[in-house]
Amino acid sequence: MEAYDLLIVGGGPAGLAAAAEGAAAGLAVGLVDERVTLGGQIYKQPGFEVRDHRALGAEHLRGRALIEAASSARMMTRTLALAIEGPAVVLATEGEPARTVIARRLLLAAGAHDRPVAFPGWTLPGVLTAGGAQTLVKTQRVLPGKRLLFAGSGPLALAFPAQLHGYGATIAAVLEAGPPPRAGDVARMAAAARGNASLLRDAVRYRAQLLRARIPLRYRRIVVRAEGEGRVESVTHAAVDADWRVIAGTEETVAVDTLCLGYGFVPSVELPRLAGCAFGFDEARGGPVVEVDEWMRTSVDGVLAAGDGTGVEGSHVAVDEGRLAALGAALDLGAIASADDAPIRARLTRKRAFRAALERMHRVGPGIFELATADTIVCRCESVTRAAIEAAGTSDIHVMKAFTRAGMGLCQGRNCQRQVAALIGTTEYATPRLPARPVALGVIAREPDHDLGRFQ
Amino acid sequence: MRDVLIIGGGIAGVSLADHLARAGVDVVLLERGELNREASGTNAGSMHLQIAIHQFIGGMDAPGEAERLQEETRLAAEAAELWKELDDELGLDFHVTGGLMVAETEEQLQLLRDKQPLEAAAGLETHVLEAAEVRSFAPYLSERVIGATYCPAEGHVNPLIAVERIARRSGAEIVTHAEVTAIEPGFRVVTTAGVFDAQRVVNAAGAWAPAFQTLPMKAMGLHVNVTEPRARLLEPMIQHIGRRLTLKQAYNGTFIIGGGWPSREAPGRWATTWESAAGNAAVAVDVVPALRDVRLLRTWSGVIAWTDDVSPILGESEVPGLYTIVVGSSGYTLSPLFARMLAEQIVSGTPLPLEYSPERRTPA
Repeated sequence: MEAYDLLIVGGGPAGLAAAAEGAAAGLAVGLVDERVTLGGQIYKQPGFEVRDHRALGAEHLRGRALIEAASSARMMTRTLALAIEGPAVVLATEGEPARTVIARRLLLAAGAHDRPVAFPGWTLPGVLTAGGAQTLVKTQRVLPGKRLLFAGSGPLALAFPAQLHGYGATIAAVLEAGPPPRAGDVARMAAAARGNASLLRDAVRYRAQLLRARIPLRYRRIVVRAEGEGRVESVTHAAVDADWRVIAGTEETVAVDTLCLGYGFVPSVELPRLAGCAFGFDEARGGPVVEVDEWMRTSVDGVLAAGDGTGVEGSHVAVDEGRLAALGAALDLGAIASADDAPIRARLTRKRAFRAALERMHRVGPGIFELATADTIVCRCESVTRAAIEAAGTSDIHVMKAFTRAGMGLCQGRNCQRQVAALIGTTEYATPRLPARPVALGVIAREPDHDLGRFQ
Repeated sequence: MRDVLIIGGGIAGVSLADHLARAGVDVVLLERGELNREASGTNAGSMHLQIAIHQFIGGMDAPGEAERLQEETRLAAEAAELWKELDDELGLDFHVTGGLMVAETEEQLQLLRDKQPLEAAAGLETHVLEAAEVRSFAPYLSERVIGATYCPAEGHVNPLIAVERIARRSGAEIVTHAEVTAIEPGFRVVTTAGVFDAQRVVNAAGAWAPAFQTLPMKAMGLHVNVTEPRARLLEPMIQHIGRRLTLKQAYNGTFIIGGGWPSREAPGRWATTWESAAGNAAVAVDVVPALRDVRLLRTWSGVIAWTDDVSPILGESEVPGLYTIVVGSSGYTLSPLFARMLAEQIVSGTPLPLEYSPERRTPA
């Protein structure tokens, strides 16, 4: 049977760094990613052939270096991880029947995705996430529209529009939901930035780029609705207070054909939830976060987690968490007798301090969950409105799901579960269900290899 | 002091509360969690009326078997009528779609031929379709299917809404998050939400009924799958006479696939297994090849109460005033009917079949 000392799910910074470290420690490492190429969201590789990688910039080169360093691991792209049952993991590579492999250690590094935010008009064509826009640009060199409004929060909220502007997009404005940086914040970040110079430099560079291009950068403003016939034609935004709650009488409407949203990230939790890992909750790191120990081990024996999936802290932290996870697995399996982990931990401490300083400015306010009006569709797969959710009259997420079908559609709840939970006053999600991704019945069909006996 | 206290907020308990409350009985129903969270809300909502593989115990030739199967079929047909009435009154998404029971081997086909006269005698219309007939009637079935029986009266309801609507209509007092910890003589029922006094107590706790009485039953978890929605392909439901399969396309276009695949016991719940998902998918695509490229979205586990002799447990126990209603296999279809029978017993003294008695002896 196909078996790995260390099986990694997710080919982003955490997974790639773990693969490199694990292979170097002598482990038989396999890495699966559902996408066509490695790199994860941040180092997503282009869909076209690249003759000169340097032309794509320093970040691209950093991603290439991570991928190359991990090349001695067995890479399995276009491969879904569908189920986790003890050391058995069910994988399905595109075009092949699903198969069960054995993972002596399983590292879940599935990253994070853009926070979905439901407001009137969020389902209109022309509204897309920052990640979606970035994918179009990075992999296809396609701009998502002609005249863009960018709204979001967090350190990357400035990076994307700066990048898009660099590619020739017309950006009407950039709206940051958080406050403008104050002297104290800058000082705090500078203090925390020892060893984080590149991060701070990037932040300053993006801001300067926007200012140079005379793109209005407005703080403490949030999108409240998008309107248009068949696609976005205008977007209305308003000022918010510290909790991101809209201040009456501050609305402004701007004509754009595209709205890009980047209100931070939420960890992708479906695999650790299926595995039965214990979770904590930390709004500053995206909401539900997997609990891990100093070697990134979860509460489930043999299962580790690293990267944004354990709380959104960015690619630099993810890389070091991935390294720690692989070293921990190698120690546990006896492949190495000791690990030189002190420098990694020191770096992590610095980077986390910097991230924490940033997060204080960009913490998601509860107002983000209150933008939907009665007839706004909250669960878009099943067309469930806020009014239907409130009419169900329950604060039990399972009962809500049964009554309204919210979360039962093709996205398996990824887009709406947090929003639905927030509307009924809970942070609990419905019971995790197999499979972790939609998969064709013909791909998984397999008679059991033993007799189940009579039904009864 | 209430007249009747019912333990269990599934289809059996809620239907009973509905009949009793509307007959003027002072009734309270206690549920340890929320209504409809276990078997009643997690089954696939199918109204299977034909004699199915799991109903055979010793073969049709065993003494008394033909009579038992015929009586069960008669009750199933009557239960379907009752569901139709409930749907008319409450709107439960009841669709009479007809149902096929398919055979892939000559031996399975013979079983279909043998059971059909029993169904006819019980007043349930079924037709045996063979070879070319089955192909022209149901072109979506695979070449592997060599015959089927078709029952026009079969159909399905939406199990997510029925219990809630019956409960609301009943007007009965319902207390949720009241877990019964002791039933003391009198009766004095101690719960996590206080103490309730009642003249009579009905155990309608389904798979958990043995917590309160010694009963000839066990519980098991059942695996269910649901796919993404697709354009209408299947009108009738499909089940299999020899393999584990029930399959239907729900009103919203999704395919719901089950048929007795086991799930495993996990702390506080039944958890689905990959083996059952894969095995269930294998039977489904064998029978309906077009399902091959339809994507599985979600699996869940229901739970089924299984009585040792497949007959329901219904009536008063040796403790006077303590009643049981555990319907067992096909419990979702049959529970409203058995609840009505038990209500008539409690209100008017109408006798219940002795073979359903909680005190009966069952073969080991």
